[in-house]
Amino acid sequence: MARISIDPVTRIEGHLRVDVEVEGGVVNKAWASCTMWRGLETILRGRDAREGWVFAQRFCGVCTTVHAVASVRAVEDALSLEIPPNAQYIRNLILIGHALHDHIVHFYHLSALDFVDILQIPKADPTKAASIAEGMSSWTGNSRQELAAVQMKVKGLVASGQLGIFSHGYWGHPAMKLSPEVNLILFSHYLQALDFQRKSCQVVAILGGKTPHIQNLAVGGVMNAINLDSLATLNMDRLGMLQSILEDLIPFVQQVFLPDTCLLAANYPEYLHLGRGVDNYLAVPDLPLDAKASKFDLPGGVIMDGNLAGVRPIVDWQDAEFRKAVTEDSAHAWYKGAGPLQPYKGEQIPDYTDFKENAKYTWVKAPRYNGSPMQAGPLANVLVGYASGHALTRKWTNTAFDRIAAVNGLKITPNDLQSTMGRYLARSIRSSMLSDLALEHLQLLKTNILNGDDTTYNAPQFPTGEIMGMGMHEAPRGALSHWVVIDKGAFTNYQAVVPTTWNASPRDEKGVPGPYETSLIGSPVVDPEKPLEVLRTVHSFDPCMACSCHTLDVTGKEIAEVKIL
Amino acid sequence: MTLVSVIGLGNVFLGDDGFGPLAVETFRCEYECPLSVEVLDLGTPGLDLAPYLYDQQLVIVVDAVHSDTAIGTLSIFHEDDFLSHKAKLRITGHDPGLWDALAHLRLAGHAPLDLIVLGVNPEACGFAEGISETVRSTASRASSMIAQALIERGIACFHREPASTPNLWWMRMEQVERSAAA
Repeated sequence: MARISIDPVTRIEGHLRVDVEVEGGVVNKAWASCTMWRGLETILRGRDAREGWVFAQRFCGVCTTVHAVASVRAVEDALSLEIPPNAQYIRNLILIGHALHDHIVHFYHLSALDFVDILQIPKADPTKAASIAEGMSSWTGNSRQELAAVQMKVKGLVASGQLGIFSHGYWGHPAMKLSPEVNLILFSHYLQALDFQRKSCQVVAILGGKTPHIQNLAVGGVMNAINLDSLATLNMDRLGMLQSILEDLIPFVQQVFLPDTCLLAANYPEYLHLGRGVDNYLAVPDLPLDAKASKFDLPGGVIMDGNLAGVRPIVDWQDAEFRKAVTEDSAHAWYKGAGPLQPYKGEQIPDYTDFKENAKYTWVKAPRYNGSPMQAGPLANVLVGYASGHALTRKWTNTAFDRIAAVNGLKITPNDLQSTMGRYLARSIRSSMLSDLALEHLQLLKTNILNGDDTTYNAPQFPTGEIMGMGMHEAPRGALSHWVVIDKGAFTNYQAVVPTTWNASPRDEKGVPGPYETSLIGSPVVDPEKPLEVLRTVHSFDPCMACSCHTLDVTGKEIAEVKIL
Repeated sequence: MTLVSVIGLGNVFLGDDGFGPLAVETFRCEYECPLSVEVLDLGTPGLDLAPYLYDQQLVIVVDAVHSDTAIGTLSIFHEDDFLSHKAKLRITGHDPGLWDALAHLRLAGHAPLDLIVLGVNPEACGFAEGISETVRSTASRASSMIAQALIERGIACFHREPASTPNLWWMRMEQVERSAAA
């Protein structure tokens, strides 16, 4: 029996360690451990509730915006404060811009190279590659010339013998299966994605003032002044700029990103049957359409035991069951006390013991929903939408299924999405949905302004007694909730239950493991020194350990290190 | 159209790692620059740095940099200094971020034409312990070094008299705690 420890497994800021036990070439036990502590909740206590969001967006260096919005929503919930429709639309557009950015970067820059073998690219025939790519979509960036130029760059890189940032890939691994041409196509899109990553940031910057730390939020709305005749405010010029950026960005999402994930699924069908893991799913409603947040463009809900016929909808943010059902326990996390505790009463007093697989082994707590572990993320979002008959989700899911079938006749069903590959597909399906919704919400904003409504803010009034509130957001990595207790306008408790905590959850007090841990059971590992198959499944969750734990000290480890124990 | 980015990197809650954000905010308040210069506190963006480097004429990165100098020494580094291990960015997420983002952009043909790193040698980068006095006192000097680097490259910038007040929101709590302790 081989014991493999991968530390860290993320390609960006983050501190995730995964330990697996392999017997007969298959994983039979797994542990996910976050190696850093997140201290931000401690910093937020005692602070003015009106500026909590400024601090909350430093929960993570990458997903800043999501915490800012969840924070103001939590305070607004505590105050029962409605925000003007303009503020809802502006926030929604910012959240969509951020999500598209995150999903594009995740697929191309943080996980595609688990499936794409760079060393195969010099062998590709660019003419053949162009004809494959042109058969997939009408995207204009797939010409023979374009692909040949990318191939030249890769040839130069390979010939130099210095792969630089690509020197740690598992090139030539037996689990790499794409033809040289498909490798070339995907790597060409990898480079083009840098431009679209930038465009999605611009959407956030135009409305949010700055990225990555937006400046336009306020408890009660947004601080964007709207005046169609003024140069200095949100005017027709700015709105036109947004429209044209979106029109550039959306074809990349719908004609490149979505088809690329379909190409991957058709070539790696075994990953439609691997990595299912915890098949309870949680998605929260988002993209509110009115001041009261009573109607949403993205449905929320809960699916248990993979039963797509039995979704329980979460209709709005007031959902009584959600507020009762969420708890976190520290039985296996490096905190004092065990719980489970409801987030309003949550604590985080460190109790570090080193990695003890049968006791405490991570800085991540175990969140549970009515006592059960839940999987969060685009897959939960898409399955809940599909199962509840949401038209837009069905449209793009079916488009993806048709595209996979068009590659090599592979027929798949929504049930197959409950897998490692399903998480990759769901991310591009969700991005395609969000692209349509971006244009819709921009139109809603324009129409509302043209109808003469320029309000963006309702001033908050803080009572003297203790109040509590919860703010939700369906973030790129899944269901996020901030839980706040406020007295005299200042936080007395602050807890964030973040998507990666749901997914990277350790075992709970009953010993039930979380989604990462469960999803790895049964994964093949052909070469224990190069556990590529394990990485594919862990990366399919888009792990962001920065926000699920974060920042006590530095580890000094520069590169993913695989230890065979 | 932004052509020049002055980028502060670092985690404002990790002691001297907050130098980058402090220095660029000080610069923003002390100097007036043309619209083509963007001054940004990017925190710890990892690979998400790429959009801010894309096709730029000049990028000045300001960060805590471990080097063989006295604590609080300000130095200007070039990429070669890091490749030859003469200097080392703090190993949080943002170290691989900078060089990875740069390498990606080079391959794609959109790397900045010129990139320098203005670094301070940090004393301690612990959680919520505040920036050290030695490093904090270099902020204004760092700000004038940023200005000088811009002027040397033909980019106008003017000292503001008086300087505007920097928004150092993350230090407010520290000050409250320090005065409570005193």
